[in-house]
Amino acid sequence: MFRLNLKIALRSIFRNKVSSFINVIGLAIGLAACLMLLLYVSYEWNFDRQAKNAAQVYKIMSNLKGDDGKISMTHDGTVPALAPAIRQGIPEIKAICRLNYGKKQLISNGNISFKKDARFAEQDIFKMYDYQFIAGDPATAMDEVHSVILTESTAKVLFGTADVLNKSVRYQDKTDLKITGVIKDQPDNSSNKFDYLMPWSFYETVDKNAAQLVWDNFSYITLCLLAPNSDIDAVNQKIGIIAGKNTSDLKDAFFIYPLTKIHLYGKFEQGRSVGGDITQIWLFMGLAIGILLIACINFMNMATARSERRAKEVGIKKTIGANRRSLVFQFLTESMVLTFVAVVLAIAILEISLPTFNHLLDIKLGLFYFDAANWLYLIGIVFVTSLIAGSYPAFYLSSFSPVQNLKGKIRSAGFLSVSLRQVLVVGQFCFAIILIISTMVIYWQIKYIKDKPVGFDIDALVELPQEGELKTKYDLFKTELLRSGAVSSMYQSSVSLSHHNSNFIDIRWDGMAQAENRIVFNKVATTYDFVKTNGIRLIKGRDFSEQYASDSTAILISASAAKTIGYKEPVGKTVSIFGNKCTIIGVFNDYIWDSPYQSNNPMVVYLDKGHTGTITMRLNKELGLSQNIGAINKIAKQINPAYPVEINFLNTIYSEKYKSEKTLGILSNLFGGLAIFISCLGLFGLVAYSAEQRTKEFGVRKVLGASVFNLMGLLSLSFVKLILVAIIIAVPLAYYAMNKWLQNFEFHVSISWWVIALASAGTLLIALLTLSFQAYKSAVSNPVDALKYE
Amino acid sequence: MIKIENLEKVYKTEEIETTALNGINLHVKEGEFVSIMGPSGCGKSTLLNVMGLLDKPESGSYKFIDTELLKLNDRERSNFRKRNMGFVFQNFNLIDELTVFENIELPLIYNKVPATERKRLVNEIIERMNIVNRSGHFPQQLSGGQQQRVAVARALVTKPKLVLADEPTGNLDSSHGNEVMELLCELNETGTTIVMVTHSSHDASFSNRIINLKDGHVISEKINKGRTEELI
Repeated sequence: MFRLNLKIALRSIFRNKVSSFINVIGLAIGLAACLMLLLYVSYEWNFDRQAKNAAQVYKIMSNLKGDDGKISMTHDGTVPALAPAIRQGIPEIKAICRLNYGKKQLISNGNISFKKDARFAEQDIFKMYDYQFIAGDPATAMDEVHSVILTESTAKVLFGTADVLNKSVRYQDKTDLKITGVIKDQPDNSSNKFDYLMPWSFYETVDKNAAQLVWDNFSYITLCLLAPNSDIDAVNQKIGIIAGKNTSDLKDAFFIYPLTKIHLYGKFEQGRSVGGDITQIWLFMGLAIGILLIACINFMNMATARSERRAKEVGIKKTIGANRRSLVFQFLTESMVLTFVAVVLAIAILEISLPTFNHLLDIKLGLFYFDAANWLYLIGIVFVTSLIAGSYPAFYLSSFSPVQNLKGKIRSAGFLSVSLRQVLVVGQFCFAIILIISTMVIYWQIKYIKDKPVGFDIDALVELPQEGELKTKYDLFKTELLRSGAVSSMYQSSVSLSHHNSNFIDIRWDGMAQAENRIVFNKVATTYDFVKTNGIRLIKGRDFSEQYASDSTAILISASAAKTIGYKEPVGKTVSIFGNKCTIIGVFNDYIWDSPYQSNNPMVVYLDKGHTGTITMRLNKELGLSQNIGAINKIAKQINPAYPVEINFLNTIYSEKYKSEKTLGILSNLFGGLAIFISCLGLFGLVAYSAEQRTKEFGVRKVLGASVFNLMGLLSLSFVKLILVAIIIAVPLAYYAMNKWLQNFEFHVSISWWVIALASAGTLLIALLTLSFQAYKSAVSNPVDALKYE
Repeated sequence: MIKIENLEKVYKTEEIETTALNGINLHVKEGEFVSIMGPSGCGKSTLLNVMGLLDKPESGSYKFIDTELLKLNDRERSNFRKRNMGFVFQNFNLIDELTVFENIELPLIYNKVPATERKRLVNEIIERMNIVNRSGHFPQQLSGGQQQRVAVARALVTKPKLVLADEPTGNLDSSHGNEVMELLCELNETGTTIVMVTHSSHDASFSNRIINLKDGHVISEKINKGRTEELI
């Protein structure tokens, strides 16, 4: 029986080439899109979940209290004293480890040097992550202060081989480290990924603050491994008691949070997790299922539209003994075969398009053919898809009595068949229209934020990390560069123009309402030519100047800082920062240094040559770009030969700020387009069948004098009505959803009526083009052919 | 073999009710060849459908040997049909996706006949119907007469007790029509009971008994003497 069903299925697929093509291509594209999104979702979902103990690993989080005593901010920075204090006192904690926030730092083997992700951690990290040692022993790998563990690819980049145990590398061109271990590369979806790992004991010599067991420096990550089934609340309480003993303020400042959740549920309000990127994951899951559903709907529609043809077959089979179950089974077999063909095609599409997709989103997704679990999922998807796609035709067609079937009198005008098909078409187009409107709103939001002035002259502005000799020989570097003519002005500062950190609250001013300031300020230490170089607009006062010796205690403040402080004439007035009295010499317009979507904290800029970090340079526009960059490269290499010269354009750095929204934009563009395409494919098929069914009617009408235009209108109208209904349903839904999305941003566009009008008109136009192609074809056909047919 | 009593069938649409069968009484003996004739809309096809368990009447009784068929549920009807009845239609009703061989084999598959037995039975009937060289063809590659032979072969392959034929020559020219009628006669001669609906008195002349229907009633019955004598 199965063989027979398979035979009928295959022959029917080959016989109905157009509809099979529409079904298979639609389903394949839908499946490819769905699989691609699911790959992305699974990549995100498995963040930090690879290790055997992952479920028991927790990150210690800190709550900062605001002005009103409520929690104003939650972050993962903890104090260096915390881990040693709770290591012994809490039996549930089986392991605890401090880490620094990693950054790219220089590592070299002789002349071969690279900046790679460096991390420092305590020994216990091996109990939390399953690093696979290719060489070395995890038990002793961190015993020596000056030791380092390399990943396989780092070893290969530096030495050309992974066989490097006990060899030596140089860290930051200063310290020689012995290689005590080589581990396999870690997966990309790990939040504590590194290229090389060094012991905490070494870090305490690199960052002197880390060695101070204080309770007020929230600059380090603390991870802990709990015994299985530990009571989280009890652990939090115990941590609170220990922290409270040391500083009463910190009694309820710390809490533990699962490491596996931090990536997707990393947004906190009032100390509680309120979601985070998981919203995007749900969104993508919805997209994936939606697109697949659209393709399945095509399948159902095509199958039911074909039901008149198939009805005869069903009738015959029933007459000669088929029962309903065998017929249902036959139709499901048919959809299973089609889905299988579609899956094979979908995998091919996926293979072809994954590199582009990875490039667009800057991730590394891949198909793993040797993973049994993946195949099980795939089989599951084939099964579910063919069940969804095939169930309606299967149950619908097999439900009629044989006489109805043989006479072709199936309920094509009945309540259920037509209205369900209509509902499906409306549903398809609803989804597509919502996606189009979303895409447009996202596009306009990104454009709006991008077009918003950043507050400084971003063109021809470049920066260079201030490392190695550049820290001590900045003045020489500046003199040489200015002499070369490559830059017109430059300054050094503690942070880049674009930064997230360097916030503080210890600032006092005259006439403060509260005893202590609770508003978070941002600070930037700089040298001369700050304003001149970056082109920030000074509203009042002046830039730092070598002419005034008193500028060593002077500060510039942002307009929002001036507003917060509340001085009517701020220039010349003083404030106290960390207990030091500073005179305000200028007020500048706020510029975007953190998120472009919301107001950034008020800022103070002070003069401090000792606080190095980044060198910012304005290129000389008189000379060519390559000439300028060449000169900077040459001079930097002369002064600081150990380090590679990493010149970054501020333009590029700022475009990174839109990355997450850009990803959303790309995805909704891509999948919105696909949704429309698949929907139109389905519409095309439906119109073709509708035209075929009405061949005789059209013939008669033509004989009686109907024009081509009349007939096209007749055929298109019924479908246009459905699309109009879809628009009416989709518009408010899309408006509501996108309005809610926009509320996430302090600076946002409002959805204008023309976005909606354009999306609706666009969809209608595409649908009309699809319709009219088929409608024209049947309208111009010879009426005699149509009538002869009967 | 068949006893039909007081059979009534009404078709209802939103506005009108049409009585297709109005108290039909009919007896068919085993081995008989009965023709049902009458003008369009007299209820002859409805009667055939009810006899073939393809349609359900409103009331009455339908006994096949000693089984009351109108009391059966859908599954029992389907089972009874596939074991005891064969159908021949005016428009052949072959499945386009299946070859001649596969079309004929289909009822055997539904009757769960083992594959080797199926092959034997199909080959036997294909030979008898003289369509051996067509067994790998698809229906649309055959002439109307050949298609109807296949349909008859399919109706006979399960060796049914009763063959129901609905205008079996309606779509055929006269020579092909005669061939089919001769085929049915041969079949009848081997003991198969046949009930045939027809417009053609020529076709009806091949049967033992002709029943005339009008407006859902049996208005006359005529014994075809030549054929009846043959039967005796």
